[in-house]
Amino acid sequence: MTMIDELVPQPESSNTRDAIRRTAHSHRARRVAISRVMMILCGVALVLTAIPLVLLLIQLIARGTSQLSATFFTKIPQSPSLVDPNAIGGVSNSIIGTLALTTYASIMAIPIGVLTGVYLAESRSKLASTLRVIAHTMAGAPSILMGLFGFTLLVKYFQIGFTAIAGSFALAVLMLPVIAIATEISVRNVPDTLREAGLALGAKPHKVSLKVVIPSALTGIVTGCLLAVARAIGETAPVLLTIGGGYLNEWRPLNPVSALPLSIYMNAKSEWPSQRAQVWGIALVLVAFVFVLSLTARIWASRKQKRNS
Amino acid sequence: MEKIMSDATAAVNVGSESVKTQNQIAMSLKDVAVSFNGKVAVRDATFDVTKNKVTSLIGPSGSGKTTLLRGLNRLHDLTPGAKVSGQILLEGTDIYRGDITVTELRTRVGMVFQRPNPFPTMSIYDNVVSGLRFNGIKKKSILDEVAEKSLRDAALWESVESRLKVSAGNLSGGEQQRLCIARALALDPEVLLMDEPTSALDPIATLRIEELMVTLKERVTIIIVTHNMQQAARISDDCAFLLMGEDRAGELIEFDTTEKIFNNPNDSRTLDYTLGRFG
Repeated sequence: MTMIDELVPQPESSNTRDAIRRTAHSHRARRVAISRVMMILCGVALVLTAIPLVLLLIQLIARGTSQLSATFFTKIPQSPSLVDPNAIGGVSNSIIGTLALTTYASIMAIPIGVLTGVYLAESRSKLASTLRVIAHTMAGAPSILMGLFGFTLLVKYFQIGFTAIAGSFALAVLMLPVIAIATEISVRNVPDTLREAGLALGAKPHKVSLKVVIPSALTGIVTGCLLAVARAIGETAPVLLTIGGGYLNEWRPLNPVSALPLSIYMNAKSEWPSQRAQVWGIALVLVAFVFVLSLTARIWASRKQKRNS
Repeated sequence: MEKIMSDATAAVNVGSESVKTQNQIAMSLKDVAVSFNGKVAVRDATFDVTKNKVTSLIGPSGSGKTTLLRGLNRLHDLTPGAKVSGQILLEGTDIYRGDITVTELRTRVGMVFQRPNPFPTMSIYDNVVSGLRFNGIKKKSILDEVAEKSLRDAALWESVESRLKVSAGNLSGGEQQRLCIARALALDPEVLLMDEPTSALDPIATLRIEELMVTLKERVTIIIVTHNMQQAARISDDCAFLLMGEDRAGELIEFDTTEKIFNNPNDSRTLDYTLGRFG
């Protein structure tokens, strides 16, 4: 204690300081305890989430891989008989049908979805906010509704029957809101400073959208499209009521086609154990398709993050 | 030469009778005010921007410097509820009501922003010529020529000559800002607006941009917003001092030569600010 400290009275400030230190110390201990409990709860939740997924994957791979063969990928289905109960053929018709359906649906949904998303992001009009509500509602609507819509409009009303085009239309309706919302978000995330830079160079607003904003948002848009395709590939309800099915390797838009989810549904109901076993193989192929698409989407997205940092 | 100097000095005294001849003034502001949804952000801006000089807008935060600057190339047009009143003349033409389109105006009045904002999806070359492409110029020989000239003028050519096709995101902050200056210069503007162009840069990059401004004023009139008093004193010829009024709207307090503003201003508030007593 120096002279000055004795001369200058400072009782309150040091008392307050002690009080703050004490409270902060006891608080810290409590925070650490709470943090630990929370971490454990998070870990438990993670395990609970992972268990069904891991079990499913193990089952799929264990039972599915044995089904995969050259016949599985290249031959059309066959009807088993008592003479040869294991003559089930392959699912080439469903693979071709799924690829065709997804392609047509993407051709329909991606341009319209992306343009809608750009409009939602760039416009402040009443129409845009109404469309946004519709898009979000549609994104959450049960997929059987899309199937019913495609069935009622194309199969029945326009009389084009059970066809690939009716199925891909139903899938496109399902993909549209997903693509539009993803596009809107990534276009909105483009910093305004880039828009202003374009405008300040004498560019018309539509040129700024086309040459600056959309290219900057492209990774996000592509990611959204891939996820929409991944979702459409696995959907059963929209195709159930629209594509008609069939055993032939068919891809033409105005003919009935088959699809992987549809053959899972049909085979699962079969009375032949051989056909029911084949379901695992089909499911494995379907999951592999979705996995590859999701993985591609993730790689795109992380590339974007890397570039932005 | 002496005649021009004395004319210029006389003309910058706001309210004085002497009026500069038309061809010495790049931009002329009369009672310019900007409001957002009826709320005034800046008002009473009346001054002439002399050709081939650097005019700085200084003042504390909230005094409306940037708002005023963005009115000069009509960047407020897209903000709903924004209104610019008064008169802003570019070579005698009212930029809001005269016979000039907004896209033409922006090619004649370029802008460099606070943070370097090169287009991240474009190469260095594509960034520089983007303004030309936006305005329909596609001929490669012209684009090549302008790209080199603009990059040289922005003192960037030597360091990027060998990597013109590389993404602009690979440049350093200071280089990116010089790229943005080159991009604005490519359109050969009469006026270049700079909104705190060095506030995101380190001192060395700042110095290079300041040196650049001094050489650039031979070919383009520069209006710069700056928070940095020393910067305004170092590089600007004329200076507008703005301050936030009682109703939180910015207003022009004083406009004069930089020398007068910093050494012998008419308003005591100007002196207080330039001496660092507030702000």
